[in-house]
Amino acid sequence: MEKFLDFIVRAGSLDRRVIFMVIALAVMLPLFFPLGLPIRATNSSQQVYDVVEELNAGDKALVSFEYGPSTKPEIHPMAVALLRHLFSKDVKVYITCLWPDGQFMALEALEQVAKKQYGKVYGEDYVLLGYRPGAEAIIKGLVSNIRKVFTVDSRGDFLDDIPMMVGVNQVKDFDFIFSASAGYPGTVEWVQYAADPTGVTMSTGTTSIQVNEVMPYVQSGQIKGILGGMPGAAEYESLIGQAGIGTSGMDAQSVAHIIIVGFIIFGNISFFIERRRSKKY
Amino acid sequence: MNGSEIFGAWVAVFLTLGIFSYLYKDNPFYKIAEHVFVGVSAGYWMAMAFWTQVQPNLFGRLWPKPEGDISGFLMKGWYGIYNSFGFILPSVFPSGGIDKGHGHDPHFIYLLPFALGIMMLLSVSSKLSWLARLGIAYTVGMAAGLRAYAFLNSNVLGQIKGSAVSFVDMPWFSLTGVSIFNNLIILVGTITGLLYFYFSKEHKGTFGKVTRVGIYFLMVSFGASFGFAVMGRISLLIGRFTDLITYGTETYNYASIWVFLLMIVLLAVWTFKGDKKATG
Repeated sequence: MEKFLDFIVRAGSLDRRVIFMVIALAVMLPLFFPLGLPIRATNSSQQVYDVVEELNAGDKALVSFEYGPSTKPEIHPMAVALLRHLFSKDVKVYITCLWPDGQFMALEALEQVAKKQYGKVYGEDYVLLGYRPGAEAIIKGLVSNIRKVFTVDSRGDFLDDIPMMVGVNQVKDFDFIFSASAGYPGTVEWVQYAADPTGVTMSTGTTSIQVNEVMPYVQSGQIKGILGGMPGAAEYESLIGQAGIGTSGMDAQSVAHIIIVGFIIFGNISFFIERRRSKKY
Repeated sequence: MNGSEIFGAWVAVFLTLGIFSYLYKDNPFYKIAEHVFVGVSAGYWMAMAFWTQVQPNLFGRLWPKPEGDISGFLMKGWYGIYNSFGFILPSVFPSGGIDKGHGHDPHFIYLLPFALGIMMLLSVSSKLSWLARLGIAYTVGMAAGLRAYAFLNSNVLGQIKGSAVSFVDMPWFSLTGVSIFNNLIILVGTITGLLYFYFSKEHKGTFGKVTRVGIYFLMVSFGASFGFAVMGRISLLIGRFTDLITYGTETYNYASIWVFLLMIVLLAVWTFKGDKKATG
């Protein structure tokens, strides 16, 4: 027994590089050999789905891309899944970007979903307004008059020349707002400067680390549902019935979590044994 | 797959593995990747901000493309300044004015942000750096005013409204949905959590016990944050590995495999040389 405890204590001071290697394997192996673990939608993901389901053909959705390559694995799958849902319902999609690299993320998602999958027409079914620096000042500008902030779209076309921009002048003209956010400026600013003052229904998709910060707005009903990180994306993909990048990453996510929890338990046991021994002697 | 895409994949693989190599120890590959990232990010953000805001929304409003010929002494002078800028930087100040849909008349009110922006840049001069304070003061004042209302409305009033719920027709208990039990937990957590930050009374006796409950709530919140942070980092790792696996295929000339092997060999040589130097 003592030998076994010795082993646990020794293993507790394992070289951190061994832990990195184990985590790398835990993530990589399920990507090569998928396990097909079940995905069950949480209430908050279901809420986002229900809000989009309630939209009718021709309704207007304002989708804001506030993430870049560094957070792409978390947010991009849910942005793609949401666009699939919106386009499948023939909702008109208006895209803004509060992050400069958000524009490229939006372009990639639109190319994949709007053009290739649904054959939607630019300017009639969707429009990419593009990026404007200014964070909350931009949101405030959109609430008062879109044309104050965007006179041209991302292609350089005048807004007045775009058919689907006719009659769209401010945030109040939209039926739904979705913020795909990885930080500041993002979801919190959209709630504070757009959703709360105008009363337009808003949902969000955020990085996992932001969930705690945004959850109070969901609890209070200021935001209708939240997709949290890659699991949120996977849940949304399962709800719309189209598996994507989120779903394929969930096996790796689950296995890695089990390993990490195992390490935490193991580390704690080792710590307590060591502490008991030091007290004894 | 064209050449530039394959080249881009090789660069992406090199930078990804360069960053990962820090897990072994600080090394030249990590340093290269780190410096490239910082430099490219700064340059990219600056270029984007200039071409999407400063050029179209500031210069475009100060010198919009006039509808007809420029008439009047003042306007001719104003556009004369523009033309002299255009002589130096024709891509920023194209001939005849900037056409970005702001109308055809200059908006002179934009001289104010233009001046404040220049003042902020003067912080690099030791003699004129005091002027930067004006620009900073305006920005701080504007941001404080803008945020005060939003925070009060969404974070104070909105949250109070959301928390003050009626218990009528609400189930006593529910694991995930709304219930009286869950709302009582929120109520206790909010009050005890707030009391923990009340420092005008010593945390002793009954008050101390109440604030201790507040600490437990805070610890649960920090634990949830930590859990979510781990989940996020694993997601990012999955994203990088997915890309590395894609770039390790024949389509990309096995970029991941080659760069990985080359990096290991070079790191081994670098470590071996470093050890030799240290012992010699």
